[in-house]
Amino acid sequence: MNSAIVINTTKERKDTGSEWRLLPLRTDDAFTSMAIDEALLKLNAGCKSPNTIRFWRWQPSTVSIGCFQSVEREVDLEVARRYGVDVVRRITGGGAVFHDHDGELTYSVVCRQGDVPDDIIESYMLICGGLVRGFGNLGFRAEFKPVNDVHANGKKISGSAQTRRWGSVLQHGTVLISPDIRKMFELLKVSREKISDKFIASVYERVTTVEREIGRKPTFEEVREAMIAGFEDSLNVKLHEGGLTDEELELTKKLRPKYASDEWLRKR
Amino acid sequence: MTGNRISNISISGDFFMYPEEAIEALERTLEGVEVQEKALLAAVQNFYNSTGVLTPMVEPRHWVEAILRAASGERK
Repeated sequence: MNSAIVINTTKERKDTGSEWRLLPLRTDDAFTSMAIDEALLKLNAGCKSPNTIRFWRWQPSTVSIGCFQSVEREVDLEVARRYGVDVVRRITGGGAVFHDHDGELTYSVVCRQGDVPDDIIESYMLICGGLVRGFGNLGFRAEFKPVNDVHANGKKISGSAQTRRWGSVLQHGTVLISPDIRKMFELLKVSREKISDKFIASVYERVTTVEREIGRKPTFEEVREAMIAGFEDSLNVKLHEGGLTDEELELTKKLRPKYASDEWLRKR
Repeated sequence: MTGNRISNISISGDFFMYPEEAIEALERTLEGVEVQEKALLAAVQNFYNSTGVLTPMVEPRHWVEAILRAASGERK
């Protein structure tokens, strides 16, 4: 049984209890954020950056697409331009996501591949376990849904994406606090009929938010604190606050132009 | 397509592939393959066996179904 294997893995990890770095909450544009994540992954793989967890926001709001997606197929670029929403291709797979500046918190976990289970779904389960516990800390029950989602009350509240490169793992994902669902469907290419009130209503049947689950909009810091405790618990690590190193900032600066380029955006 | 064979293919969508670069190898593998279920399945299966690529929740038959669907659209 899969769950039994995961419990064993967690137990084994309990003995190690290592220390990871926690970065301060940052708000950046999409291209900088994507560059930070790749810089952390590269330098972690080269043993120059510690295992790290960070939480961050998007300014301006952005649609990110999975590394295998076609931007033309997924995003209404004209609507994005009109709203001043950026569009970026991730280095992780998965689907298109609307990251609302005012309604979404994003997390990233970067660690050595040996610090998570080899099995991809089990490693998603371990890392998403931090979110599950974090939502518990906020006062409601949530559960991991393979491959890469977390559900509350049977509705999606978080989606994640993971890549493994050079011996390290990057997993980043969303925590839906109070996103503008209507805007999300205007930006993502779905047929006209789908933006009808009826379709929006059906989305509310499938997607939920922290605001909806606890009956008020929490602060970003409150959600972050809940998730920090959740990750410490799930990963059995102690998080220590630290900043980005000069080397990480330098590599971020180098990588940013790729994410901002038309060539990268229109790769598929 | 050239005749009933794939001459050029670009795969895009919402999925995960480890390692990600393997998508280009999959596309190259499919070039020249006849658009017919058995031939496609054999090519895709061979790709998985020879590369050890992982695609959680996506199996060889899913690629074949998508290719057959795209090909029938192109024929119309």
